[in-house]
Amino acid sequence: MTVTTTSPRGDLAAPARAAGVGRPRRGPATWLRGGGLHSLVFLLPLLVIFGVFSWFPIVRAVIMSVQETNLVTDPTFVGLDNFRHVLADPLLWKAVQNTLYFAFLALLFGYPVPLIAAVLMREVRRARGLYSALAYLPVVVPPVVAVLLWKFFYKGGPTGVFNTVLGWVGLGPYPWLQDASWAMPSLVLAATWAGAGGTVIIYLAALTSVPAELYDASEVDGAGLWRKIWHVTLPQLRGVLFITLILQVIGTAQVFLEPYLFTGGGPNNATVTVLLLIYRYAFQNSLGGDYGAATALSLMLAAVLAVFSVLYFRLTRSWSTS
Amino acid sequence: MTLSPTARPRPALAARRRAAAPSDDGDRGALSAPDWRRPAVRWGMGGTHVLLLVLLVVVGLGPMLLLAKYAVTPTQDILRTPMAVFPHGVAWENLERAWNDVQVSRYFMNTVWLALGSWAVQLVVATTGGYALSVLRPRYGRVVQALVLSTMFVPAVVLLVPLYLTILDPPLLGRSLVDSFWAVWLPAGASAFNVLLVQRFFDNLPREVFEAARVDGAGPYRLFWSIVLPMSKPILGVVSVFAVIAAWKDFLWPLLVLKDPAIQPLSVRLPAIEASTELGVFLAALAISTVLPVAMFLVFQRLFLRGAGLGGAVKG
Amino acid sequence: MRSTRKPAALVLVGALTTGALAACSGGGDPQDESTNSAGQVTLSVVSLLPGSTEEAVAAFEDQVAEFEKANPDIDVQSEEYEWKATTFAAQLAGGTLPDVFEIPFTDAQGLVENGQLADMDAQFRALPYAEQFNPTILEAGTGDDGHVYAIPAKNAYPVALHYNRQLFESAGLDPEQPPTTWDEVRQYAKKIADANPGVAGYATMTQNNTGGWQLTAQTVARGGRTVETDADQKATATLDSAGTKETLQFLHDLRWEDESMGGNFLLDWGSINQEFAAGQVGMFTSGSDIYTSLVQTNAVDPDSYGLAPIPLSDAPEAATLTGGTLAGVPANVDDGVKDAAIRWIDFFYLNKLVDEDRAVADAETLAKNDQPVGTPVLPMFSKEQHELNQEWIADYVNVPLDQMTAFTDAMFDLPLAGEPSQKTQEVYALLDPVVQAVLTDEGADIDALLADANTQAQALLDQG
Repeated sequence: MTVTTTSPRGDLAAPARAAGVGRPRRGPATWLRGGGLHSLVFLLPLLVIFGVFSWFPIVRAVIMSVQETNLVTDPTFVGLDNFRHVLADPLLWKAVQNTLYFAFLALLFGYPVPLIAAVLMREVRRARGLYSALAYLPVVVPPVVAVLLWKFFYKGGPTGVFNTVLGWVGLGPYPWLQDASWAMPSLVLAATWAGAGGTVIIYLAALTSVPAELYDASEVDGAGLWRKIWHVTLPQLRGVLFITLILQVIGTAQVFLEPYLFTGGGPNNATVTVLLLIYRYAFQNSLGGDYGAATALSLMLAAVLAVFSVLYFRLTRSWSTS
Repeated sequence: MTLSPTARPRPALAARRRAAAPSDDGDRGALSAPDWRRPAVRWGMGGTHVLLLVLLVVVGLGPMLLLAKYAVTPTQDILRTPMAVFPHGVAWENLERAWNDVQVSRYFMNTVWLALGSWAVQLVVATTGGYALSVLRPRYGRVVQALVLSTMFVPAVVLLVPLYLTILDPPLLGRSLVDSFWAVWLPAGASAFNVLLVQRFFDNLPREVFEAARVDGAGPYRLFWSIVLPMSKPILGVVSVFAVIAAWKDFLWPLLVLKDPAIQPLSVRLPAIEASTELGVFLAALAISTVLPVAMFLVFQRLFLRGAGLGGAVKG
Repeated sequence: MRSTRKPAALVLVGALTTGALAACSGGGDPQDESTNSAGQVTLSVVSLLPGSTEEAVAAFEDQVAEFEKANPDIDVQSEEYEWKATTFAAQLAGGTLPDVFEIPFTDAQGLVENGQLADMDAQFRALPYAEQFNPTILEAGTGDDGHVYAIPAKNAYPVALHYNRQLFESAGLDPEQPPTTWDEVRQYAKKIADANPGVAGYATMTQNNTGGWQLTAQTVARGGRTVETDADQKATATLDSAGTKETLQFLHDLRWEDESMGGNFLLDWGSINQEFAAGQVGMFTSGSDIYTSLVQTNAVDPDSYGLAPIPLSDAPEAATLTGGTLAGVPANVDDGVKDAAIRWIDFFYLNKLVDEDRAVADAETLAKNDQPVGTPVLPMFSKEQHELNQEWIADYVNVPLDQMTAFTDAMFDLPLAGEPSQKTQEVYALLDPVVQAVLTDEGADIDALLADANTQAQALLDQG
């Protein structure tokens, strides 16, 4: 997007310069007269906030990842030791595995189900608002409340809520959070309950913007319901679907709330995710955390996500409409 | 399901379509009004809708209703027979104790303050920054824009530890911001998504209006305050909805920087007292914490849903 | 456009000035503000666990008022506090710990080494009873230089067995006869679980380092040790000792063969107390001093509470694990705060153990607010001092001591063992998943889990 002084979107300072203010040298006077001060004033909040709370910490993260910091003595440079230490941690591979498992399950439950629901809801003719409200209701519940409530529902033994209900149809008491192979799916189920509604609404909005003429046209060509959905609906949703997919993957890669509150990473580290591991490195030790390891791991996670995003966009470039 | 290959029934069909359905004024899904009239579709899709509605009620509403029930059930009943209907009567005192002993109202207000402050900071940063980048366009604007954009590709986790240390020891201030709302408000403003959203919106505003205002002698401040901002209500609405929802959901960051129980929001406080609060009272506290967000949602449904949907539209 | 430059410039100048002012006034660390020029010291102290009852809070406030009356130059600010590894580290790093805070014995050495505790030796020696302390207890807070950094404050405890008398009765067991061997624990647990579906006959902590803590306690009770330290302070991890394996096998058998451990296995110190107070747990091990907390935060029914010593096996080294709470002061406070701190520590924690009037006054305040008086703890001084103390407050004791006789009768004769002194919390953290695995995975290989944990523990200890 190049900006020339003749463009209709040209900046407001252009007239002053274009008016031929002397020689083309830009000294402080020209800057001031050109409205430079105003730009700076307006940018000040952004520069300060981003500078102190975004750019500086990012740089600091990189620096800390090659240092040993313990907050009492000065940090010492340790090269790639932090990275080696993290890569040698047996818990890291468990965490990566668990995170991938969570992301996979979350995609399985949380990606197609909202889509199907949204497509169905689009066809509703009466009281569509009721459907939307019901679907979105869990999203409105504060996430911590949702987790604590589900934690209670998941209580083991025959007197837990879910076990009682399942007991009515003769299904035995399940361990839910108390068993390593049940724990992660339980987390994903709760997380999906809390989040799927938002996705449904996004899809619904996108579906609403599908032009009716496309459907009309396809009907003329003799398309039935499934063909309409396949050839009209889904292609129109491509953009939203692709963005939602990658956002969901990036989001679930950083899941923290559910493992932390439901199981604290247990049982037997079955629900330790990468973010929980970073938290443990930095904040678990009562005598001061290993900040170097924590920042090293967060940078590695960021790198992986970046690579994934690039690959993803490359791959889908040919398919995406935008 | 395919049309029989008879000669051009189209005009008649079209006429029937136009004359027909109340739901067909451009607002239609994959199924058209004639489709609905076919019994197979009517019963099939209709039945599916009923099923979907039942599922939504059970899944969406069910847990909320259960929570409301447990909020007034005695603890022993909850533990022993969770699905029985008040075998030993109703325990209204759970609510009273949750309100007074657990002081849900105080933590709720903390959550509100956090949300308001974060919202304000985000709006200030996004509007002033977006205005400068989009309308004023200083020479270094492209650099700033690139820097802002680049932070979108950095996942939040990278910031966690260094931001925490920055809060412990902020530059210039000399005293830690821990246990102060500022520790949550200020970092919330660093949202590249907001800045880009607002900037894109400003980019699409008609320049002629600006030119006209300039000709009338408006300076950049006047332009911002009296022209650009009023025209930006839609985008400000979207940013606000996102900001408030994000602040409401925030857990890890307040957990780290708000150690003083007196200023903790609900999200941090409720898990902390889980083990020291009787189950019935605890669930009552959870229920009370849910009432206001749900009530606000029911009242401002359209705003919520529009914001949530718009978010998707913008992202797409 | 020219006309708007002035306001812009003003805004910028204003912003810069405000920033500069803030920088100047905010300089220096917060502790400096504690002692102001008039000699008035603001002392921030810890009060109670979050979520404590109103009465407990009222009792505490009464004590604060009494102290401030006797010390008009000290203004006490209290805050709720629960020692949890994660929050403590954050507070320590953020400099937001109160001036007098509490730490478990296990943390003291690490803090002393990192220079994070104030040297309180001078103030401590000035106390009239400084020489009378039980040396084992005092050692926990003493640095290598012989200076006292953290002062024994309260709740020096041996780990004990807590049991629910009502659940005992429901299973046909005699509440006056708590189990004395681990086999009896197993039998009783089965009976309780059979008589009360959904209730855990026996439970154990598994999370937030408490899993490792209780595993260690139960190992020590079977004669094992998790870490051996030789004369040179070199530590060897012995997590795979016979005692540990026995304990885990015991837990495995109760869980999978008898199914007497209920259905919930993610428990830490707070949540197991809560389950117990709600009548969901028949027996469990924890510090002997938790009765106070059970009353203050979990509203336990006093009639249901019973206390017994932890069953000791026949192994020669079988002992009871001890622990306790120390009071520490952050390293960077000035002397005014240190002096105020020692006065508070003396008043709130220690004086009532050696001075009859204070003991009576303290007991009276607590009893007035229906707070527990007389919970059994290890004597901080000598046995004689402890018995004297019990006589002084006899009128106010309101804990059901007659339900705790199994413990109190044996208390002084228990063989004691201290917690490992190096990397204690980290080793506990390593053991949490082991306990969780045994309780949630029927096929868990105990030997493999312990061997693995041992390797990791040794690596930690070698790091020094």
